[in-house]
Amino acid sequence: MPTRILKKSWFIKSIFFTSAFIILLIGGITYRNIDDLSKSSELLTQTYRLNVELEQIFSHLKDAETGQRGFLITNDPLYLEPYDAGRENINYSFAELKELSRNNPTLQKNLKDLNVLIDERMDYFQKAFRFSAVGNYNDQNFKENFYKGKKLMDTIRLKIKGMIKSQNDLLKKTQHTYESNLKVTPIFLYMVLLFSLVLMFFAYNKIIRDLKEIKASNEQLEIFKESANQSQIISQHGNWIWDIDTNTFKYSDNLYRLLGEEPQSFESTVENFMKFVHPEDAEKLSREIEKMITNKDLPFVYYRIIQKNGTIRHFKGYGKLHESSDGGKKLLGTITDITDEIDNLRILEDRNLELERNNRELSAFNYVASHDLQEPLRKIQTFLSRLEDKESSKLSEVGLTYIDRIKNASTRMRLLIDDLLQFSRTNRADNVFEVSDINELLESAKQDLAEIISEEDAIINSDKFPKINVIPFQIQQLFLNLISNSLKYKSKDRIPEIHITYSKIKASDDPEILKPKKPYYHKIIFTDNGIGFDNEYAEKIFVLFNRLHNKDEYSGTGIGLSICKKIIENHQGFIFANGKPLVGATFTVYLPIT
Amino acid sequence: MKLHLKFDFNAVCRKVLDEKLLEHNIKHKIIAFGEVELLEKLSEERLEAFSSDLNDYAIEIVENQKSILVQKIKDVIVDMVFNDDTSMNLKASAYLSDTLGHSYGYLSNLFSEVTYTSIENFIILQKIEHTKQLIINDNLSLTEIAFKLNYSSVAHLSTQFKNTTGITPSAFQRIITKRREFNQNQTN
Amino acid sequence: MQEDYINIILADDDEDDRLFFTDAFDELRITTNVKTFNDGVYLMDYLNNEESIFPNVLFLDLNMPRKSGLECLKEIKQTDKFKDMAIAIYSTSASEEDIEKTFVMGANIYIKKPNDFKTLKKVLSEVVTINWQYHTNGLNKDNFLLRL
Repeated sequence: MPTRILKKSWFIKSIFFTSAFIILLIGGITYRNIDDLSKSSELLTQTYRLNVELEQIFSHLKDAETGQRGFLITNDPLYLEPYDAGRENINYSFAELKELSRNNPTLQKNLKDLNVLIDERMDYFQKAFRFSAVGNYNDQNFKENFYKGKKLMDTIRLKIKGMIKSQNDLLKKTQHTYESNLKVTPIFLYMVLLFSLVLMFFAYNKIIRDLKEIKASNEQLEIFKESANQSQIISQHGNWIWDIDTNTFKYSDNLYRLLGEEPQSFESTVENFMKFVHPEDAEKLSREIEKMITNKDLPFVYYRIIQKNGTIRHFKGYGKLHESSDGGKKLLGTITDITDEIDNLRILEDRNLELERNNRELSAFNYVASHDLQEPLRKIQTFLSRLEDKESSKLSEVGLTYIDRIKNASTRMRLLIDDLLQFSRTNRADNVFEVSDINELLESAKQDLAEIISEEDAIINSDKFPKINVIPFQIQQLFLNLISNSLKYKSKDRIPEIHITYSKIKASDDPEILKPKKPYYHKIIFTDNGIGFDNEYAEKIFVLFNRLHNKDEYSGTGIGLSICKKIIENHQGFIFANGKPLVGATFTVYLPIT
Repeated sequence: MKLHLKFDFNAVCRKVLDEKLLEHNIKHKIIAFGEVELLEKLSEERLEAFSSDLNDYAIEIVENQKSILVQKIKDVIVDMVFNDDTSMNLKASAYLSDTLGHSYGYLSNLFSEVTYTSIENFIILQKIEHTKQLIINDNLSLTEIAFKLNYSSVAHLSTQFKNTTGITPSAFQRIITKRREFNQNQTN
Repeated sequence: MQEDYINIILADDDEDDRLFFTDAFDELRITTNVKTFNDGVYLMDYLNNEESIFPNVLFLDLNMPRKSGLECLKEIKQTDKFKDMAIAIYSTSASEEDIEKTFVMGANIYIKKPNDFKTLKKVLSEVVTINWQYHTNGLNKDNFLLRL
């Protein structure tokens, strides 16, 4: 978001600078045009004045001629007046023309020529006067002189006419250039203006759109602020902002509520906050706040506050420095009320302690069962065997029977104790999971049962297993219990066969797993051809001390399969039994793939 | 650091015997493991000195004729189990009486009388010991060992191993491996 | 030139068990010399005495006051001069893991105390015989593991 706005402002800036440049350009062009216009009118005036002066020179020359002629005819010096004035005026005009032709070398040259011609003409006038002084008008020389003067006059007229014409031509040419310039410039200006208008339109559009966006995000911010406010109330959070530059402090509304006060009911300062802090924690918190100023990062800090009504609440705080893009530094802090969490934790701790106590008692029981109970029983049995060996000849028939009965009872008791022990050992907390070769564990179990397997000629087939993360001793025990269970409940009319298959399954694909904890499971199926069982007992057979058969038919304590179930539970797996009387039993084991 | 060694006890004993006999300057010929033919008559003192010297190596001079025969039976069995693969196919009883020139009944009784154990048990013990060596030193699988030691099946070997030692072959392997690790940790 | 006696030591705090043990050896036809100690401390005191005769087989009960069988086992295995001694753990039942642990720590034999006297005799005779085999036939003692 910030980069987008930054990009936009760049766009608008560039439009602004382009527009400013265009306006400057238009100004420059207009200035040049006006300058051209004034130059052109100046040229016009100059040309006009030049023409006038030239015409005037000629008319002065004519005046002089007329004066001269009058004098020649009348010999009255009165007529010489226009002649003299004419001469003088010619000189004036020349001065004027020189001034006007300052920047025009062609004109200057022409003027020089004209000057020579005029001087020549004046010479003829003088000569004519000399003839008049003698009054010899019929003299051939006078006539010739007169004629030459007239001829020269014609030349001058032509010269002046030529000069005026060339001057006019020059004017026309220059005017034409200016005119064509002036004709093109407005179109160009118009186009440029149009372009900058378009640009400005775009910029305007952009600005309007941005404004809308800013408004929308402002609204969002407002909503966010409100929802943050709400979530602070729900989650028992509060926050504060400390502006380092202005050293001002601001609490959020909910922080006041956490302190048990109305929002913004007093000035938000560090000092006012410290008034609520539990005296035992005040020093620690002050230290942390000082650290925060230097480190600019506050670790989690735990402390208690006391509300005005005396309620003690537990707070957890965190703070971190925030630097805005313009370099302003603010410390942002969050505080959460963790009283409920701490209370729950305390309850949980109490429960855990109780559980630990129970577990300790259970292990103590385990020890009693394993050592203290076994020992006296063993001694009873050993002394019984001593009695039987040494003293049996001294006992009556009844006595011997009793001894036999005691022996049987103690044997059964031993079996029970051993199995119970095995069962409680599978409960031990210190069982370690290891990635184990299941094939090896099965092999070990088979080796343990090697004698009975070869006695029964039993056939055991198994798939190849992958390595699985298990408690190795327990899985070996599982194999051992399941195989010996199958061998124990074998059918009398056939050789026992046990098939162990392995597959990897997806929990969702298997209808047996109702509440899977992991998405994939190892599935191991034990199938035997023994006496089987009625499926209504499929769950009961895993219950401790539960037996489907009479003690006299099949010896056993009803613990073996309970141990299997316990082992599988320790592995977060499942075990199911499925039986068909006289056909066989199937045990399916699921171990989670981790 | 720890080294795992494999001994050929026969060769070691032979070597020690040879060196000792040379040391004592006794002209001799080693016939088989446990039997030395002296090529000269030794005085009582020299024999005594030689005997006490051998005692340091836990080698005893067996004088008794019965003991000699028992020792011979043992030698034949050890040889049979550890070295000579082909003789494994024969029945041990026939092989023993053929090799030693006595009836099996006589040998069997004699053996039990002197050693408190039967020839059969001794053979099993030796075979299991050999199995242990093969498991640990040669890393052979049970199937390979069963074949090598002429057992009818792996199950038979497993059962015999378990009956003799009380533990399964795989447990045996696991324990020895763990014990080596344990000792390594102890010395480190 | 065989030694006249096989030397046996048992450390066990239980009086009945010591009685069964000595009785069993009395009835066996092997010529043995059996010594018993009430706990691990007495045992170690004896073994550490220069003049003491080392047993061929040492039987250790695991649960003893003052010094347990495992502690004795550890001490013995760390002392070089005891390395020829076969060590038998003689105890009430334990878990498979615990049994393996004693083997790993260096025990050669694990005996679960039997329930009747006949079995006890058989077990003890087997231990002595097999140990004798190892002793006399130069078998590798590192591979001597026996569970009864």
